Amino acid sequence: MIAVKGIKKSFGSNHVLKGIDLSLEKGDVVVILGPSGSGKTTILRCINFLERADEGQLTIGDMQLDLSRASSRDILKLRKRTGFVFQNYALFANKTALQNVMLGLTAARRVPRAEAEQRAKAALDKVGLSEKYDFYPSQLSGGQQQRVGIARAVALNPDVILFDEPTSALDPELIGEVLNVMKQLAKEGMTMIVVTHEMSFARDVASNVIFMDGGVIVEQGTPEEIFDNPKEERTKQFLKRILLEDEAETEIALAREKVREAQQID
Amino acid sequence: MNWVFILRDGLTAALQGIPVSLYITFVSLLIAMPFSFLCAMARVKRVPILSQVITVVVSFLRGTPLVVQLFIIYSGFPSVLNLIVKANGWDFDAFGINPFVYAFVVFSMNVLGTLTEVFRSSLSAVSKDQTEAALSVGLNHFQTNCLIIIPQALVSAIPNICNEFLNLFKSTSLVYLMTIQDITGKVRIVAAAGYDYTEAYFVIAVVYFVLGFTMEKLFQRMEGRLKTYKAAPQT
Repeated sequence: MIAVKGIKKSFGSNHVLKGIDLSLEKGDVVVILGPSGSGKTTILRCINFLERADEGQLTIGDMQLDLSRASSRDILKLRKRTGFVFQNYALFANKTALQNVMLGLTAARRVPRAEAEQRAKAALDKVGLSEKYDFYPSQLSGGQQQRVGIARAVALNPDVILFDEPTSALDPELIGEVLNVMKQLAKEGMTMIVVTHEMSFARDVASNVIFMDGGVIVEQGTPEEIFDNPKEERTKQFLKRILLEDEAETEIALAREKVREAQQID
Repeated sequence: MNWVFILRDGLTAALQGIPVSLYITFVSLLIAMPFSFLCAMARVKRVPILSQVITVVVSFLRGTPLVVQLFIIYSGFPSVLNLIVKANGWDFDAFGINPFVYAFVVFSMNVLGTLTEVFRSSLSAVSKDQTEAALSVGLNHFQTNCLIIIPQALVSAIPNICNEFLNLFKSTSLVYLMTIQDITGKVRIVAAAGYDYTEAYFVIAVVYFVLGFTMEKLFQRMEGRLKTYKAAPQT
């Protein structure tokens, strides 16, 4: 249903993407893993034309686009069929949570106000923010902001939602609430492409895991194939390193907990 | 100190001059605002040629004294115009143009220079992800600017606009040089009779201060109301 073929992109002499192919069926959740600088985010940004690819084809439903030459009308059409969730939430600072979610409906899709409000409220309810309709982003925690960001994408009823490291900017204790919302969405059959470092999410939710490095896809397969039985040396090393980092983080968290307890005793 | 002059003649004259000063301030600002905003947009979007021209003009306007600009327009321009009129044999009095017209031109040009910079910096201060988010939900560039970028830029520009407004208001005291009777002009005229210039400038200073202070407070109030979304308390 969604396929990209041969995306190439360079920034100056830096070849970030060297020909990437991807394809998803409706309801698929593709998780893209890889070290930073491997081009994961650039794929998503090229698919949504936030970055112009140098080459590549995109098929989405009955629509076909050249990633390097699409007209601005086609780009607008495509963006009305996709949702994008940003690493730093990127909520409209001058709009309340409800207005943030409604804007794409009323302004871009000409949905009548009353219906848009209803759909926006439903989306915010779904991410557990029914109490926060009239709050501005500056009044919300990071986790809440990102859930508004997800609601903003969900309300548009897109063919696919692109998640660009949705939990990377969050405090560890806020990551869970965002991942839970994403898991719920996946369960309901939303088609998703997710760039993330959350291995547990990839393992539990992905229908397909892609490991990228240096602008190419090194290995892809089911979560079991990638995590339990990686074939490529680079994949193995990456997973090992992430595992160590995760352990270190857990240890740090435990140590912090101990310090906090000690302070409370004092 | 001639208190009778201060409290009666001086103050009466100053009060009569207030509408003129405010009139020139507001009209000049209203002319300058849309133009400087468009200039700022052209610079932020790096429109070729236009943006370079604006940069040069803005530096000129910011880099030359207001009094000099005023005399170039007020004395220089009619002379040049007169030569053109004579050469073409037109029936037009180049020296009969209403001094208010010159005032509007000089002050709106002058404030245009600084306001362009104010708008440019507040437009580029709106973070790039706001644009990307707006595009990603399907808005076009025009909607993105009107609904997201410009409203945020304007709110952050308010303190600087207030500054410019106050500067402009005070600068309009120079219009007496063009025979316009604003606050300064009016009070200077009544002061001439008894040579009460010290008292006259004292009155002028107080009147400008009271008006300026009031405007500053009004702006602060407006800013406080418009930026509710920014400094909202954490819950």
